[in-house]
Amino acid sequence: MPENFRSVSAVWVGLVCLLFYSRLVRVGAAPICTNGQAGCHILSLADLFDRVIQHSARMHGISSDLHSEFEQYFFPSKNHIGRVNRICHTSTILTPNGKENAQRLAREELTEVILKLLVAWRDPLWHFQQSIAHHHDFNNFSSNKALEMSDMVHELRKGVEKVAEKMQMLGIISNSVNSLTSPEALIPSDRAEWRLMKDYVLLYCFRRDSNKVQNYLKILKCRIIPQHEC
Amino acid sequence: LQNFWTFWVTSPPGKPKLTSCRSPEKETFTCWWEPGSDGGLPTTYALYYRKENSDAVYECPDYHTAGENSCFFNKNDTSIWVNYNITVVATNALGSNFSDPVDVDVVYIVQPHTPENVTVTVMEDKDGPFLRVSWEPPRKADTRSGWITLIYELRVKLEGEEEWEEHRAGQQKMFNIFSLRSGGMYLVQVRCKPDHGFWSEWSSTTYIKVPDYFPRETSVWILIAVFSAFIFFILTWILNLKSNSVKHCLLPPVPGPKIKGFDKQLLKNGRSEEVFSALVVPGFPPTTSSDCEDLLVEYLEVYTPEEQELILEEGKDLQEGCLKSKGSPSDSDSGRGSCDSHTLLMEKCGEGEGKEEKHQERAQKGKRQQKHQTGWEEGDVSHTREDVLSPDMSEGRVKTWPSVFSPLPQYSSRPLDHQGSLETARQLCLSDSLFPPPSTSSHLSYNAKEGLALGSGQQEFYLGKKQTHPSNPQSQPRWHLQAHSDFNISSMDRKQAASGLQLPGFRSTEYVEVQRVNQEDMVILQPLFSSSCQRDGHLQIGQGEDYSKVKGVDSGNMLLLQREVEVKREEEDGDRYSCDIQDRVTESCYTTSTAASSQVTGKPTSCAGTAMPVQEEMVLAANGYVDAATMLL
Repeated sequence: MPENFRSVSAVWVGLVCLLFYSRLVRVGAAPICTNGQAGCHILSLADLFDRVIQHSARMHGISSDLHSEFEQYFFPSKNHIGRVNRICHTSTILTPNGKENAQRLAREELTEVILKLLVAWRDPLWHFQQSIAHHHDFNNFSSNKALEMSDMVHELRKGVEKVAEKMQMLGIISNSVNSLTSPEALIPSDRAEWRLMKDYVLLYCFRRDSNKVQNYLKILKCRIIPQHEC
Repeated sequence: LQNFWTFWVTSPPGKPKLTSCRSPEKETFTCWWEPGSDGGLPTTYALYYRKENSDAVYECPDYHTAGENSCFFNKNDTSIWVNYNITVVATNALGSNFSDPVDVDVVYIVQPHTPENVTVTVMEDKDGPFLRVSWEPPRKADTRSGWITLIYELRVKLEGEEEWEEHRAGQQKMFNIFSLRSGGMYLVQVRCKPDHGFWSEWSSTTYIKVPDYFPRETSVWILIAVFSAFIFFILTWILNLKSNSVKHCLLPPVPGPKIKGFDKQLLKNGRSEEVFSALVVPGFPPTTSSDCEDLLVEYLEVYTPEEQELILEEGKDLQEGCLKSKGSPSDSDSGRGSCDSHTLLMEKCGEGEGKEEKHQERAQKGKRQQKHQTGWEEGDVSHTREDVLSPDMSEGRVKTWPSVFSPLPQYSSRPLDHQGSLETARQLCLSDSLFPPPSTSSHLSYNAKEGLALGSGQQEFYLGKKQTHPSNPQSQPRWHLQAHSDFNISSMDRKQAASGLQLPGFRSTEYVEVQRVNQEDMVILQPLFSSSCQRDGHLQIGQGEDYSKVKGVDSGNMLLLQREVEVKREEEDGDRYSCDIQDRVTESCYTTSTAASSQVTGKPTSCAGTAMPVQEEMVLAANGYVDAATMLL
């Protein structure tokens, strides 16, 4: 009986779709409520921290991939790189270089450092992604990664700001964290050899800074919520 | 001497090489180098480093903590997220040699120590036991503050196996292992890695023994197996009980040959000569008359006007005289049942013959007659049936017992005139001369009178008749024994054959049976053919042993005849005869002929089926034979 079979299968498909949709709706990201609006699924601070830490981990992974790719294809000889002075534009930002130094910082300061770093990288990454897309030196995979990386910085900054807000709301930190302006980006140069070098240095610098961000966030989390996976 | 040589072959040191730099907790790090050739001179090594974007050169603060050819950077000298440019210099008296510089960022060279306190315990679950492995991070790695994030990995294998089974445990410090082999000894190892770094070494092996347990799945299978075995045994037992019926159903019994003297074993052995020789009964032809008495209880009472009782006894001479000669040794019974065998007939009736020589003599005669018979039979064939030709002519003989009847004890009341019976027997015997060839319509009439005098003493009439097939009975020649007071032996009358009486010099005996009694009070006898088993209800002649026996003549001038059941075959449809003569029910028909005045009348009695009305005065023997004195067609 094909008719019966068709109707039954249609019903089944409908049920399955309904199930999936309901699941999606349920698991879907509930909006982060501001000022405790009613009806929102309020994320706990621990969940927020987990999210931003995962974000930063992913960001760092992409940057590592791009860096090793760049190094592999364009600068096979390490000696060549060794002579280059790698000066990151974020070197002006004071960041703790060790565990004790990081633990010595206050929570607000640590949060501020994180935010400064994230803010500082928004524009350079955007430029970097633009240059990769236009110059066709990289394959599609790399340009997609660069784009994703650029977006991720943006998202991560917002996420950290949210965390800071929450902490401030909870009274964990004071309200001294301000939105920061980005420092001056590197002066773009149109000369070809400098462009490649610039990209490489940029990737090198960003890889390190993303690692810093991830680490600082972990320290912050374990300091504020020590019981949660620390 | 060695110094002498080294003195001559000294050179600046070879180039050292930095092999690796490692940090166990991201707070300190160590670098190792590999010295080159020393050039024959004592060589010193020094490590220099520069920090990122700084031209200041620093020497290794600690050459000893980490061992030979190493440099240890303590916490104060270690900066994370700072690029170190490290170089090793080998120096001897003749010169120095710089190694290739290496850039090191401590964040990316972290290799922690092995996890500590690896404990494995066996825990119980509803599905069975499982292993719980727990450990602690290496002592120096600070995961508590979040400075280092470690992910763990463990591996398990059974003792004796080669392949490890690896599991990623993530950041958790505990792991469960399921699906264990009962009673197995397991080995467990754990290692860890920072989120960006190198894997640690495997921890020392932890041994754990899983206790014996019974898996639930196996128990279900065992239950199923036991149940199936139980059912199987029950079925076997039932089958055993009903083995006979099952055997009957699957392998129906094959009827075996029922030939007297036939030895199956001999046949299986494959020696045909022995088989056939075994068929030859040593006691044959019978020499004693005792058997014949058992076989043949035939009485033919012929009532004559002179009230001559012709009670024919079965005597030796009688037997001899009237015995048919079955002489053909090569009587093949193919296609016939055992009842049809001439040999059997001979067995049963030939007792009276007594002497083998006679039998043989007759056999020879029979052989001689065969040719005549053949012609006669062929003629018969042409007339009677289309497919008459049967391989053995001898089977077509009509065997009629001339009048060999042995008086049964019941008939003791009857005065038996031996002598008279003998004579009568002789008279009753149809001589060859009297009987014409069957091809010709011959009438055989039996003359009871002395005028019968059919011939010399032993008269045997051999009617070579083809073995009758169950063809149309109409074509069968009918032999009627017309019993008149004056028993004329006339020629046998066949339907389409009309020829004069010719009595070939047959010596064989014939058998007739009383067919019926016609209106004129004539006992109509029907020749009895050797083929005993009549397949078809219609075939009468030659179908089996139809014969009528004259039992005797009673006081009321009654001709007592005994007839086989098969006589009335024509009236019966498809009745089967029991082929075994000995097994024949004493259901022979008998006709009583009432002799009116000087006639012998016979009443036909119908023998229907196996049930036979039996008159008490008549002892019905199995086989009845009537002397084919008169044959009417």
